[in-house]
Amino acid sequence: MNCELAHERIVTAAYGELPDEQLHELDRHIRNCAECGTERAQLLALKVLAEANPVMEPDANLVARSRQRLEEALDALPPKRWYEWLSQRMVNNFASLQAAPIGACLLLIVGAGAGVLGGYEVTQSRAARAAGQAQQTIVKPTAGLQGAEVSNISSISRLPNSEMVEVTYNQVVPQRLQGSLDDPVIRQLLMMASQNSESASVRDDSVGLLVAECRAGHSCQAAGIRDALMVRLRYDQDEGVRAKALEGLQPYVAEDVRVRNAVLEALMNDGDPRIRTSAISVLEPVEADTSVRQVLHTVANSDENPHIRTVSRQVLSRVPQFQ
Amino acid sequence: MTTATTTEGSGRGKAGQAGLSTAEERAAARAPEMELIRQAQAGSRGAFDALVRQYEHQVLRLALHLTGSEHDAEDIYQEAFLKAFRYIGNFRFECSFYTWIYRIVTNLCLDQLRRKKTRREDRSVVLDSSGDEIDVLASVSDERSYSNPARELDRKVLGARIQAALGKLTPRERMVFELKHYQGLRLRTIGEMLSTTEETAKNTLFRATKKLRTQLAELRS
Repeated sequence: MNCELAHERIVTAAYGELPDEQLHELDRHIRNCAECGTERAQLLALKVLAEANPVMEPDANLVARSRQRLEEALDALPPKRWYEWLSQRMVNNFASLQAAPIGACLLLIVGAGAGVLGGYEVTQSRAARAAGQAQQTIVKPTAGLQGAEVSNISSISRLPNSEMVEVTYNQVVPQRLQGSLDDPVIRQLLMMASQNSESASVRDDSVGLLVAECRAGHSCQAAGIRDALMVRLRYDQDEGVRAKALEGLQPYVAEDVRVRNAVLEALMNDGDPRIRTSAISVLEPVEADTSVRQVLHTVANSDENPHIRTVSRQVLSRVPQFQ
Repeated sequence: MTTATTTEGSGRGKAGQAGLSTAEERAAARAPEMELIRQAQAGSRGAFDALVRQYEHQVLRLALHLTGSEHDAEDIYQEAFLKAFRYIGNFRFECSFYTWIYRIVTNLCLDQLRRKKTRREDRSVVLDSSGDEIDVLASVSDERSYSNPARELDRKVLGARIQAALGKLTPRERMVFELKHYQGLRLRTIGEMLSTTEETAKNTLFRATKKLRTQLAELRS
C-alpha cells in the first residue's frame, strides 16, 4: 500500500466505511509510516474541531411555525383535476414499464415462444388426425403386405438425399357375404363377378348361378342378367362361361331379337365348335326365321367343322322355306 | 444534539435511521410508511401530513445546520415538502421515502449554498474585544450552559472558524461532509441522495477533509 492510497483510506476508516481486511492492512501500513500516522492524527483532530459546530435540534417554535406555514400553503393549492390524475397515472404506468425493460422483454419472448409452440403443436395434431383418418400407414419393407391385396399404386417418390422411397397405394380388403340368390346385393355381386372378375372360374360360377335363376323362373329382366349373359357370350375368353351364357339365353331367343342376334353371332363367330353346335340347338324355336335361315345357309356352306355343316343342312331341310 | 465521536470507525448515525439488523425487519418497518405513501398518492392529505411529521425534524436539522439560518431552514422545509406533495405521484418505491425526501432537501440546500457563495451574505459578523471578526451564529440557539463566558466565546470563535472553513468548500463537498460527518449517513446513501456513486461520494469526502485540514491547520496547532 502506498501513502496516497493510505491517506484516502484513513478518511474512509475515520468514518467507519472501510472494510475490515483493508482496515487491518491500513493499520499495518501506519505502524511503519510516520507520515501516514500524522495524517490520521490530523484527521481525528479535524473531527474533534468540527464538533465545535454542533448539529442542533430544531426549536419547537421553529417546527410549529414551519408546519403551519406548510399547511397554509397546501390548503391554498387547487385540487387536482381529473385529467391531471389521469396523466399522472399514465406517466407512472409508462415509467413502471420503463423501469422493467428486461421483465417486459422476457414477457414478450415467453409469450411469443408459447404462441409459436402452441401453434406448432396444434398443427401437428391436426396433421396427425388427418393422416389417421386417411388410414395411410407406412409399412416397413421387411414387414410385407399381409391381409389385403394391393388394388393399385397411385404414386412413387424418392426422398431427397436419401435411400428412402415413399410409395402410396390402395389396398383391397377381402370381405365375405352370405345371402339368397333373390337378394339384390347377392345378384349385384354376381353380376359384377360375371363382368369384372379376373378368374374364369369365378365368372363361370356367377354366370351359372345367374342362368339357374333365370331358368328357375326368377325375374331376370330387371336385374340386367340377360344383358350380362349376352356380353359373356360375345366376349368372354372362357368357352365354359360362353357355353353357360348361351344355355342361359335359350328361354329368351324366341321373344328377344337381341338374344337371337347374339346367338346367331355366336353360331357364325365363336371359335369353339361345341358352342356353335349348341347355338344351332338354341335357335330351333326360330329356325324358320329368315335371318336364321340365312345364317344357317352361310354356316352350312362355310363352317370349317363338317358336323356343324351337316347339322345346319339338316335344319334347313326340315323347315319350309317360308313361315 | 451533538455528534461527539472521536474514535475511528465510529462515525455513524444519529439522524433518524432505525438500527434494524435484517432486511425483513426493515421491510416490515417500512410497510406502514408504504401504506401512507400510497394513500398520499391517492390524494389523502392526512396521510401526507403523517409523512411530514415523520421527517420534518430531520429536514429542519439538516437545513438549519447547513444554512445557519432559521429563516432559510424554514424556506427549505416549505419548498421541500411542497415539492414532495406535488410529485409524490412520481414516487415508485424504487428507494426509501427517506432517501427520496432527503434528495429533495439536499438539492434545495445545494441551491441555497450556491446562492450564498455568490452573494456572500448571511454572515453576521461581530467584533470581539481584540477587534477580530467572528460569526456569532446568532440564529442558532445553544442550549448548553457554560459558566465561563470566555470559554463560551472561544467556543463561538472556534465554531465561526469552522463555519468559515466549511464555507470554503464547494457546495457539493460541503454537502457530502455535512451528510457524512454531521448527519452520519453512509456513503452509499449519500451517493443515492446526490444522484452519484458511492465511490464519487468517497472521493468528495476525501477532498473536503483535505481542504478543511488545510484551512484549520493553525487551529489544530
